[in-house]
Amino acid sequence: MRRIPLAIAIVFALAATSFAGNVYFNKRPVLWQNPDILIWTPDSESPVDPKELCLSLKRNNPSIGEPKCRLFGEWERDSIAMHYAVWLKKNINPKLGDDYLHIRHPALMDKVQHLEDNIVLYLADIGNTISVAIFDETSTNPKVTGSVTKTNDKIALGDEIASTFFAGKTKRRLSKEERKKMLDEPDDFYKEVPNFRAWAGLSIGHSQAHIPLTPDNWTESHTKSQVRNYRITRDSVSLWNFIEDSDPLLSAYVGGIWYGFIGLELIYRFAKHRVKTDENDPVYEELDHWDFYQHEVGLNAMFARSYNIKKWFDIDLFAFLGFQYSFYVEDIALKEEVEKPSKAYEVRIRFEEAYKGGLFGGGAQFVFFNHYGIGLRTGIATRGRDMYVDPTPDAAAAPTVIGGSTIDCFISLGFEYHWSL
Amino acid sequence: MEGSALIKRLAIICAVACILIGCGTSYRWSKSHPLYTQVPYSALSVTGTENAFILTRSKWFAKKLEVAPESAQVQLTAFARQVFLDEMKRAYPALKELPDTAVTKFPEESQKLDDKVFIKGHFPEQGVNVKDAQGGIPQYILILHEFIIGTDINREVFYDYELIRQESAEKKTSNNLSAILSYTLWDNENQRPLFSAVDEIQRPIAKLAMEDLRAVVAEAAKKIRINLYEGVQK
Repeated sequence: MRRIPLAIAIVFALAATSFAGNVYFNKRPVLWQNPDILIWTPDSESPVDPKELCLSLKRNNPSIGEPKCRLFGEWERDSIAMHYAVWLKKNINPKLGDDYLHIRHPALMDKVQHLEDNIVLYLADIGNTISVAIFDETSTNPKVTGSVTKTNDKIALGDEIASTFFAGKTKRRLSKEERKKMLDEPDDFYKEVPNFRAWAGLSIGHSQAHIPLTPDNWTESHTKSQVRNYRITRDSVSLWNFIEDSDPLLSAYVGGIWYGFIGLELIYRFAKHRVKTDENDPVYEELDHWDFYQHEVGLNAMFARSYNIKKWFDIDLFAFLGFQYSFYVEDIALKEEVEKPSKAYEVRIRFEEAYKGGLFGGGAQFVFFNHYGIGLRTGIATRGRDMYVDPTPDAAAAPTVIGGSTIDCFISLGFEYHWSL
Repeated sequence: MEGSALIKRLAIICAVACILIGCGTSYRWSKSHPLYTQVPYSALSVTGTENAFILTRSKWFAKKLEVAPESAQVQLTAFARQVFLDEMKRAYPALKELPDTAVTKFPEESQKLDDKVFIKGHFPEQGVNVKDAQGGIPQYILILHEFIIGTDINREVFYDYELIRQESAEKKTSNNLSAILSYTLWDNENQRPLFSAVDEIQRPIAKLAMEDLRAVVAEAAKKIRINLYEGVQK
């Protein structure tokens, strides 16, 4: 039984929307408090009574204050404005957006731009309905077009226009002095890009060998490999044959950018990787833990582009390319009760002292209030052996470098502090 | 399963790469009004033909076609205009010709066809009907803005504002006789630009003759008819 009032309410709501006018497009004109509404029509007689329209506006939208409505005689006596008004009567159509209704005559464009804070309400009788358009000083296209059902009841017509086109939030109307001041004020969006901007940040992230959107079998042979007897793997071309690849990544960085375009960034990255020992191998029974700490130091060149979204909010998109040195520090321990390690333990694998590699990727910095930033970065990091070693005659006989080609991808979220000079 | 996953991934990579690189430059050479729903069948008028025709390299044409160089521009454009009107009349027997002044009294405006392509022309004022000599109001008017005749010319160079300042190389040989034309179908009752386009006609030439000039202009007129038909919004 409780549902009956609800059903009635829904029926009324539907009925209300079906009687309300149609809006073809709405570019949100400013609705001022206590506005001056100028009614402009190409017809010999205005379809609404200005006084009734004002009362309807007050009834439908109490926040509108004390509107003043009158016929816009200046434009109705102007032949250029009337030509356009007649044209608009034929061209207001649900299929036509504001571009197609653009005012083309320079004299009328000029008039619209000098409307100040008056609202022009265009009404044209097209038989069963009345076409409606609203103009304000900010555009030479209509800001809103639509239609309402024609009726001889001027109060109902005023109500329909008010509820369909004047229902929004109102803004306090500025005084003459305030408007003048606003015009003289510098535009928030006109802000020079600082000559130099620097930042420092800390980030947390994740790195893994498998690069999304690439086939699994590119990395599977490395990531699924395990270490038997402290040194045996399927191959040793990648470090990911020995150690876990998918781990958290921590980094600290400082950077700077010149003219919002070209920058440099010094980074330190840290990750801990466990050795993938084969659980079935009994030789590891003596082992407590075996990990490698990965320390990386690198330098990135950045190319950026800044977007000033709000006065207090900027977005910088960037791409980076750089190089890095990677160091792997072993952390291994036997169980306390083991007195003498096995032979295999003594001759276990050793990584190179340092690996050289590259970094490339892209990201975005979201800077709030010019200082507080959130940085998102993603990219690919490589580590290889030092290529600048002279080949020796016995190079072929020399043991292969472990991890000669180690690639992973990373994504990180950083918290940054920015300075501008 | 494995294969389809791979194809899907490749497709995504291609799409991303395409967005990043930008898959070549493409132009849209015509624009239809959303309310262009019907082709003008018989009631068509044409204007702009008195001044639209321009001959580039007129000295070259004069030499090849054995016309006096001083009068080549006038003679050959008059010839092209007549061919154009005759060809249009074959499709629209009731074609009416309006003097250029019907539209040239209105200011020149530009109209955007594409992000890079703008045409310039004279369009009647909003709310004002163009009248013919008898005082009648023609329903549809084909406004011919420009009709450029030359050799080996491309519409990109004339209408893409990024390329407009490019100097064309001095040429000794000519492979094609070209025509580039821009036009608008104007709804004179409601003052709407129903359809605007820039067309390009290329005709290979071995030895230039008047017949080639006729053929290129006739083909252009035919192209207009086809485009007007294809531009209708379904």
